[in-house]
Amino acid sequence: MPIIEVKDLVRDFVVGDGLFNRNKKIIHAVRGISFSVEKGEIFGLLGQNGAGKTTTIKMMITMLAPTSGICKVLGYDSFGQEKMIRNRINFVFGGEYGLYRRLSARDNLKYFANLYKIPRKVRDARINELLDLVGLSDRGDTRVETFSKGMTQRVQIARGLINSPEVLFMDEPTIGLDPIGAEMLRKTITEINSLGTTVLLTTHNMYEADELCGRVAIIKEGELITLDTPANIKNRLTPRKIERVEEITLEDAYIQLVKGGEGE
Amino acid sequence: MNSSSVLLTSMLVQMKQTFARNMFKFTLFVGPFLTTIILGEMYRHSTADNFVAYVVLGSGLWNLWNCIAFSSAGDINRERFSNTLSIIFSAPADFRLILLGKIFGNTILSLGSFFLSVFFAIILYRPPVIVNSWGLLMLSLILTIAAFIVMSIFIAYLLTLSRKTTIYMNCLEIPFTLICGFAFPIENLPQKLQYIAWLFPPTWAVRLLRHSVTQQAHGFWENFIPLIISTIVFALLAAWLYRIIFRQTKILGTLDMA
Repeated sequence: MPIIEVKDLVRDFVVGDGLFNRNKKIIHAVRGISFSVEKGEIFGLLGQNGAGKTTTIKMMITMLAPTSGICKVLGYDSFGQEKMIRNRINFVFGGEYGLYRRLSARDNLKYFANLYKIPRKVRDARINELLDLVGLSDRGDTRVETFSKGMTQRVQIARGLINSPEVLFMDEPTIGLDPIGAEMLRKTITEINSLGTTVLLTTHNMYEADELCGRVAIIKEGELITLDTPANIKNRLTPRKIERVEEITLEDAYIQLVKGGEGE
Repeated sequence: MNSSSVLLTSMLVQMKQTFARNMFKFTLFVGPFLTTIILGEMYRHSTADNFVAYVVLGSGLWNLWNCIAFSSAGDINRERFSNTLSIIFSAPADFRLILLGKIFGNTILSLGSFFLSVFFAIILYRPPVIVNSWGLLMLSLILTIAAFIVMSIFIAYLLTLSRKTTIYMNCLEIPFTLICGFAFPIENLPQKLQYIAWLFPPTWAVRLLRHSVTQQAHGFWENFIPLIISTIVFALLAAWLYRIIFRQTKILGTLDMA
């Protein structure tokens, strides 16, 4: 059974415009996408800004209700059976937000450990382990507001791992990270995956997707245009469409697919 | 065990976060001074009972309400902007406990503004404060805090549904303070507004508190019973509202700014 099952998933937003928001407009953020993720996979969702990646993730992490379609995580509906899912998953959003900036990294992790019902007996050891994993063991008692963007992002990752989730959702986790930070994060993702955590991530970094993901889905304007392994997607590129035949990258394939609309 | 831990840690996190904000420190320390001066000058030539009711208690309640209700409501927006609202809402812990812990945290800090207001009023104007019944005063104060907490929960839930929290909050602040009779008796308001004032627990809480000190605002039971009923009604409304917001925030997608 797939650990994540998405079928004909649709999400619309009604937005108001004009005086008193009277002019209502429907934005079709996700338009009937389908895919599934197996246990132990690292699965990538790729797409332009506004393609619907974050909206799709938000539906999977029980934050947003689908307009229609099926969205199941660990066999449960992400809308209506949230309680069965929430303590078994976690998520990390890219950027500097998602933490209490006036608290220290350790206090943030302690608080989120409580919200994820981590027993006090294992909590402190787990926090030390995570601070060590993200390379912040010597800065754990410093306020987050004094951290660089990269350090803040690393605390976010520690927060996302606080409950040892079975599935970890990551929305552009390396955004704003310097190359060393991004490399460290990729290692962390590989490490947690090797311990059995299924990872679903979105990224704009094609090198990262190619290196990490077993399969990737490319979304364009809310629709799935391709779903395959990075190697197969690259192999689909014909030599006449690219000058550098000898080293076709996932980025070349992505650009061709998104710009050319050459989907499956 | 875990529920109390969620409640306690939410309260402590809230207190640490809130106390670090300069705006809150202003509301906590400078606000009481300014309100006391304004009300003190308004009632300088009034009777001793009025002075105690509307300057000593009035400024205290005004600041207590501003700190509890509007800091709690404002925190919803701050959490939304910092993207922590969606995280705490999607965590396994009950969002109601998290919010209650935050409001308890604000309440503890806000009591400082109440006592500071009373202190400033006594120091600056030296009114003859003779408490009618200390026991009744303590009971009234506890019920007042409970009523304010229930109203704060109700407002905070309501504001979770919308991203325009700041606008609604600012629109509500002064009218609510005036309509509930913090600064003057609601009998001075037009009759229709008095009917509206009667709906809110703070109106009765303020009257009960005044009665316990000055024996103004009619008898104990005339204020106690409506206070209990209106507080229970708002608590039930808040519980009902939670069931709606739990679904609607996910349907409307108002938990974050994206």
